[in-house]
Amino acid sequence: MADTPSPAMTPATRTQVRLAAAACLLPLLLQLPATLGIGFGIGALAVTAAAWRNPLPSVLRLLLGVCALLAVAAVAPGIGRDTACAVLAAMLALKPVETFSLRDGRSLVGFGLFAPFATFLLDQGPLSLVLALLAVLLALLALQRLAAEEGEIMAAADHPHWLAAKGVLRLVALGLPLALSAFWLFPRLPTPLWGLPGRSIATPGLSDTMTPGGMADLLLDDSPAARVQFFGAVPAPEQMYWRGPVLWDFDGSSWRQARGLQALPAAPMRPAGPGWEYRIDLEPTEDRQLIALDLPTRLPDGAHLSIDYTTTTDAPQYNVSRWRMHSAPAAAFEPELPQQLRQRALALPQGYNPRTLALGRQWRRAAGHDAEGRADAAIAARALGMIHDSFAYTLNVPLASRNEIDDFLFDRRQGYCEHFSSAFVVLMRAAGIPARVVTGYAGAYRNPIGGYWLVRRSDAHAWAELWLPKRGWVRFDPTAAVAPERVYDTIADRQPGRIGGFDGLVSVFNASDWLRRGWNDFVLGFNAQRQQDLLKPLGLGALGASALVVLFAAIAALALGWMAWWIARGERQRDPLLRAWHALDARYRTLGRGRAQHETALAWAARVAADRPSAGRHLAELGQRFSEARYASSLSRERLRDLLRDLRQHRP
Amino acid sequence: MLAALRRRTQAWMRPRAPEPLPAQMTRNRIYVLPTASGLFFGLLLGTMLLGALNFNNNPALLLALLLAGAVQASLIAAHLQLSGLRVNAIAAEPVAAGEELRLRIALDAVDARVRRGLRIAHAGNCTHARVDAHGATIELRLPTTRRGLLPLPRLQLSTVQPLGLARAWAYVWPAQALLVYPAPETQAPPLPVPIGGQGHPQVTRAGEDPHHLRGYRPGDAPRSVAWKASARHDNLLVRDYEQQRSGELLLDWQHTSGLPHEQRIRRLARWVDDAERDGRRYALQLPAHPLIATGQGEQHRHRCLRALALLPGEAGHG
Repeated sequence: MADTPSPAMTPATRTQVRLAAAACLLPLLLQLPATLGIGFGIGALAVTAAAWRNPLPSVLRLLLGVCALLAVAAVAPGIGRDTACAVLAAMLALKPVETFSLRDGRSLVGFGLFAPFATFLLDQGPLSLVLALLAVLLALLALQRLAAEEGEIMAAADHPHWLAAKGVLRLVALGLPLALSAFWLFPRLPTPLWGLPGRSIATPGLSDTMTPGGMADLLLDDSPAARVQFFGAVPAPEQMYWRGPVLWDFDGSSWRQARGLQALPAAPMRPAGPGWEYRIDLEPTEDRQLIALDLPTRLPDGAHLSIDYTTTTDAPQYNVSRWRMHSAPAAAFEPELPQQLRQRALALPQGYNPRTLALGRQWRRAAGHDAEGRADAAIAARALGMIHDSFAYTLNVPLASRNEIDDFLFDRRQGYCEHFSSAFVVLMRAAGIPARVVTGYAGAYRNPIGGYWLVRRSDAHAWAELWLPKRGWVRFDPTAAVAPERVYDTIADRQPGRIGGFDGLVSVFNASDWLRRGWNDFVLGFNAQRQQDLLKPLGLGALGASALVVLFAAIAALALGWMAWWIARGERQRDPLLRAWHALDARYRTLGRGRAQHETALAWAARVAADRPSAGRHLAELGQRFSEARYASSLSRERLRDLLRDLRQHRP
Repeated sequence: MLAALRRRTQAWMRPRAPEPLPAQMTRNRIYVLPTASGLFFGLLLGTMLLGALNFNNNPALLLALLLAGAVQASLIAAHLQLSGLRVNAIAAEPVAAGEELRLRIALDAVDARVRRGLRIAHAGNCTHARVDAHGATIELRLPTTRRGLLPLPRLQLSTVQPLGLARAWAYVWPAQALLVYPAPETQAPPLPVPIGGQGHPQVTRAGEDPHHLRGYRPGDAPRSVAWKASARHDNLLVRDYEQQRSGELLLDWQHTSGLPHEQRIRRLARWVDDAERDGRRYALQLPAHPLIATGQGEQHRHRCLRALALLPGEAGHG
């Protein structure tokens, strides 16, 4: 049977199958690098048009395949998730050129469904979701069409499009309870069996290195980085510094995290005040970097605090993750600085930025030394004053030169947070004050719907920390000296959804971001932990995987039972009188006294009466009444009801 | 071994014995299993589910589960296509052995649901049908090999609707036998001499003579049309064997002595056909069978062929 060639699709079916394949491919193409996405899209259209009626020669097909793979290798080299997805897209784009039989059509639709799946590995946003749902519906429609053709249903006349669409929607609706119960209850893996390959093309985000001038792309990206819900007190906007990687080491052009220090325990910190309780829903970052409000005091399981209060997670965050934390402003943050750290916080590369070093030393000579740190504070204030007086904020910055900080401080005097913080820290180190760069986000936008705070990627920021005697590390933000509105979101122009003076879209943005948050909450962020939380209100705390399987099986059985009830309903006799009569017959049948097909009701009753006079007499009477109800004039409603009751109650 | 297993499962499937019609498809005799593409699709879904669970990728999981749910619903829908369906009657015009019997199968359903893409099959023959509230009659060809009563085989009623991923099927095994006439002999000698036809000259069968031709009347056999003569006229002409009608034939079992048993039956069948075609009146005498009196026409022919078809085989004969 498998050897018989599959019959060819009709042109209309072929069109529908190709449409479904295209719908599957579309969301994936949108997530690929633009050159590949557009290239494959146009290529797929071209080859499909060329092979609309007849398959292309196999040599040409092979050539096209090789070309597609070369394109993938050129644009996204290396082995990663996006490369694999690009290869899948290429195969799917080329597959229609050899899809002509019914079986080909089915396999194209099947493979096609992998494309929306792969899309979700790259992006889980609402657009991908909507397109994927559309693709699934079109794929099911195509499958139905293929089945109709196999069943020789002449499509146009017997099975119009709207009826086909209705049929597919009905199937999806019927399957929904089972799918949803499986989604909420199916046991999740607390840790993956195998890791998710990373992307071979990195997306810009907070990184553990900073090269002044490198963050500009990030600052223009308004997509969300995290959403924060406070429980109780909410910090003032100028206190909303979301701490990311802390950078110690400067090589003349880039700042880096101090590798050797990460394993050390968190430095001592005395909080000033009760602090803030909050929950961060972090968008996927693909690395282990976590952010926390300055300074974190309590972290949940799975997160770690290093000596400089950088927070990291156990596993890379490929999905939305949720962290409940507590933070407080510091009264004293590492008031005793070990000598080794002090040296590290004063280190400067040799032979770079001579003018800055000279200025720092000159300021130190002018300020003198004192144990209280007043001189240090005066130097810092002097630097901030200089920046405030004669510097300007701009994202439009020329490429860095060798002595980038000299150029910035003495000639250009324009830049953004990376330049300000980097130059400030170098200047302070030159003046003998231990200093480091802190990256993260500053500020947040409060969404009035839902009352949560949205941190966007464009809120990315870099600031400085100076170590002052007795107080320890103290935050200094040189950018705020120039452009506080860039830091604290105080001007209306930074409101999302606002175009010029028109703020009509603000509420639309608020509502859509709130919906997005709900989606994150209920779907994306759902994991083994949340599954357990979900079951707690039902009194099912801490279910093991096996108990969960049992619960899932029970619910699945319920859903299947519901479907089976549907079947039974399909077969059920519609007339209640006949139904009761058949049930009566079935009861006698178990005793071997069922009614033969040719027997009338009365003849049967007579036969039974011969065996069992008591039951038979009653049966004869019932048979008489049944015959009257069926064949004679219509019975009154009451008498029919009585007959029904008697039929149901009669036992042989 | 696989074949044995297959036979075993086949034997286990209901109905396990012939049953009287009408037969209604109920849930205890409907079977549903995935088709080859269904298995392939299941494999794809399994891979998706595993991947989605491993990466804790909830949208992907939701997508895979949605598909799985729809596929599961399609299994039930496939079941529903058959459930409640009723095979009311099966009939067929008898044909000669070796020809295909055209079974006419009357189907309807207990409810008004339209069932599309139904397939009725036996061995290699299949036909597709659509049943709506008014029911449907479909025709299935069944090969025949020998004369006599042919018990109806177990017929398969199946559908791959709605998605082609699962096949739902049920068997119908009507307790009914259909008549198959003997295959007429191909190279048979001419009809025997008529009863009491000594005085009549044997009329030659050929006759291009216009006296023996008349105009075509509906019901005339195509074989009796004189094509060459018709070509010269505007209308069809038919050879008229009026003169031969006078002789009544007796087709006697004894006329065929010397031939093997089945051969004798086949020759008589051929003679019945020939006599009918020639428009002769004939009687049929068979062993251990009352004489079939002289007659003519479709009814008579059926009676004769039926008697021939039901003659016992040689072993039974002695």
